[in-house]
Amino acid sequence: MTVSIVRHCRSLFAGALLAWSGGAVAAEGGGAPAADLPPPAKIRDLDYGDVLFHFFQDDYFEALVRLEVAHELGRMPDHESEAALLAGGLYLSLGMHTEASRRFERLLAGPVPQSVSDRAHFYLARIGFQRGYLDEAERSLARIRGPLPGELESERKLLAANVLMSQGRFREATAVLDGWSDTGSWANYARFNLGVALVRSGEAARGRQLLETVGTMDARSDERLALRDRANLALGFALLQERQPETAVVALSRVRLDGPFTNRALLGLGWAEADASRPQRALVPWLELRERSVVDASVQESLLAVPYAYAKLASNGQAAEQYRHAVSAYAAEARRLDESIAAIRGSGFLDAVLEAASESRKGQGSIGWLWQLQRAPDAPHTRYLYQLLASHEFQEGLKNYRDLRIMQRNLARWTGSLDAFDEMVAARESTAATREPRKVEFLAATDLEALRQRRDALAARVAQAAAARDVVSLATPAEAAQWQALDELAARIAALPPGDKRDALAERSRLLRGSLAWRLDAEYKLRLSQLRSAMRDTDAAFAEAGRRYSRVEKAGDLAPRHNADLALRVRELADRMARLQPRIDAAAGAQERLLAGIAIRELEAQKARLASYATQAQFALAALYDGAASGGAR
Amino acid sequence: MKPNGPRRLPNRGWQLIVASALLIGCAVLLAVRADATEAAAEVRTVDQDVQALKKELVDLNRDLFRLEEELLYPASTQVAVFLSVNVGTFFALDSVQLNVDGKEVANYLYTEREVEALHRGGVQKLYLGNLKAGEHELVAVFTGKGPHERDYRRGTTLKFDKAVGAKYVELRITDRDAALQPEFAVRQWE
Repeated sequence: MTVSIVRHCRSLFAGALLAWSGGAVAAEGGGAPAADLPPPAKIRDLDYGDVLFHFFQDDYFEALVRLEVAHELGRMPDHESEAALLAGGLYLSLGMHTEASRRFERLLAGPVPQSVSDRAHFYLARIGFQRGYLDEAERSLARIRGPLPGELESERKLLAANVLMSQGRFREATAVLDGWSDTGSWANYARFNLGVALVRSGEAARGRQLLETVGTMDARSDERLALRDRANLALGFALLQERQPETAVVALSRVRLDGPFTNRALLGLGWAEADASRPQRALVPWLELRERSVVDASVQESLLAVPYAYAKLASNGQAAEQYRHAVSAYAAEARRLDESIAAIRGSGFLDAVLEAASESRKGQGSIGWLWQLQRAPDAPHTRYLYQLLASHEFQEGLKNYRDLRIMQRNLARWTGSLDAFDEMVAARESTAATREPRKVEFLAATDLEALRQRRDALAARVAQAAAARDVVSLATPAEAAQWQALDELAARIAALPPGDKRDALAERSRLLRGSLAWRLDAEYKLRLSQLRSAMRDTDAAFAEAGRRYSRVEKAGDLAPRHNADLALRVRELADRMARLQPRIDAAAGAQERLLAGIAIRELEAQKARLASYATQAQFALAALYDGAASGGAR
Repeated sequence: MKPNGPRRLPNRGWQLIVASALLIGCAVLLAVRADATEAAAEVRTVDQDVQALKKELVDLNRDLFRLEEELLYPASTQVAVFLSVNVGTFFALDSVQLNVDGKEVANYLYTEREVEALHRGGVQKLYLGNLKAGEHELVAVFTGKGPHERDYRRGTTLKFDKAVGAKYVELRITDRDAALQPEFAVRQWE
């Protein structure tokens, strides 16, 4: 019975080691679906381009707000389906899975181009997989009809393989991979995940083969180097489980000495050497490990492993000394854990975590930043941050907490603006009140009807002149005066006594009149055309005057209504903000308590593990003394 | 964990002790798992609450954004100037200075991230302001690196009529392939 429990616990431990070294992983882009969106060939609505400008800078919240505004105002008619797809992706990136699903489903309910529907199905599949709805994810994947653009196609294959693996359908997952000649990141992530899954499911040989492929791939970027290390670590531990220490040494030796998986690799390397009956060589990685920070679980284990190796080498004196060192190191670490637990139970835990995480993120990619947390400030709040953030649950909760803090700041900023809006509405109301008497005065002084009558009289005169071909009516004022003077002159000449003088004057008068009549007649057509053109201009100006008059009239009527509507909206928004604020505060509080609980549980578990190690060290020490007392010690 | 301790231990006693220690360890692990299941349910509840709050905040921001625009830049007087880059091989944008009717209204210095966003198809809303109906003049001066890494400064002018209703103007940096030079165009949108 006892032996079977020991075996069970040992196998649990070995399994845990494999999980530790080879949990399912996703590539860098996997966390931000919105970032997958390829740029449109041409921007046809500037507001959509403005959304993309923020989106391409990873400012997803601002992009989403602008997208919703532009959508509501109908400013993106030429990018409607792309905008709807982007909205879904943005909701997903901001952690709103429920709204994202709703958006994608609504998009798919209408007629959309296949390129858009394929991507919507892909995102739905991803949401389904993340939430554990594997059948739904599979159905969505099956609805994708064509290849997806760019990297998304590779991600689709990885997702398909992951869904199959999660359902235990390894053979089909392998078939997905077999047809995948791509050597890019996504294919290697899929190979890694499948390799680990196969090893776990008992198909060790095939699993190791896949891990070997990833573990020996060419890698230059941090992301690929980390994946290669991880594959070698998983392979090394798988081989250790199968008691193949020699090949395990080869795989573990491929792990970089300055990466996120170095400590675990050093620990495994030592065990592989010990398993190959080379305790002397096992001491090399373990002694290196022992010098590192005891916060790390591998380092804690190395404190037991080192004396174990000395004991194997029959150096019982050194073994005893190292066991004593382990006991005291575990006790010191347990005290530090107690300090951290007390600090977490106090206040400001998550804010300290966020600050450390944000410091760590500076200048780091999403792979690097977590690792940097190993060097987080050695303060009670943050000492164990790296270990805590290794848990997906904690990371997700921390993201929520960070988002809630951002929401609080967002509301605070708008609160200031809303006060200003209130003042602006009041100012508009005051301006409208001042303008009212001026408006009344303007309207009273403007007699549009009299103007219309004058225009009509003018139009009638033009029409009459045209109908009668009255050339004189189109004369300029000077010509009209000349014409009138000639008329008067003719009358005066007619009144003169008959004779040669009167005849000569009459002849000259007739010549002058004829000359003027000829000129008026010659220019008649041109003048009539100019007059008609001027009439058209007058009509246009008159119509514009009518419109302006009407606007002034309406402005007077609409301004109070518009201002009242704005004032109402300001009040309504202020109410919404006031209702939202305490709910956000409460959610932040709940999230903080929850995460503190998770953190304390994790640290308590670490304490329990340390206590167990300490017990083992003490008993081993006692056994050594026992042996020495019976005369066996050197 | 490998069994530890020297080979010559009194084996039976040692195994019992180690087994007890491991048993305690397993019991602690099981207790921790039970707690973790409870916590997972609570995590889901809080997550749902946070999602709902986020959605409300997006809606609130949308409505506040609209109100702000209506109050500060009413449609009757609104003028928006956008900036876009099409290819842009021959010009690396550093800054843009924008003058309207002889008055500087924007002087924008670009970060690498913003330039990249422009190259990927983003369009920056460079300026949003108010102008009365009538004729206006817009002058944009672009500064950056031209062909062969040379300092480059070019201006472009647009005279436009502002009617009643919002006016959109797009400043566009494109490539003039034939001359291996950048081109700065201005387009009015209705």
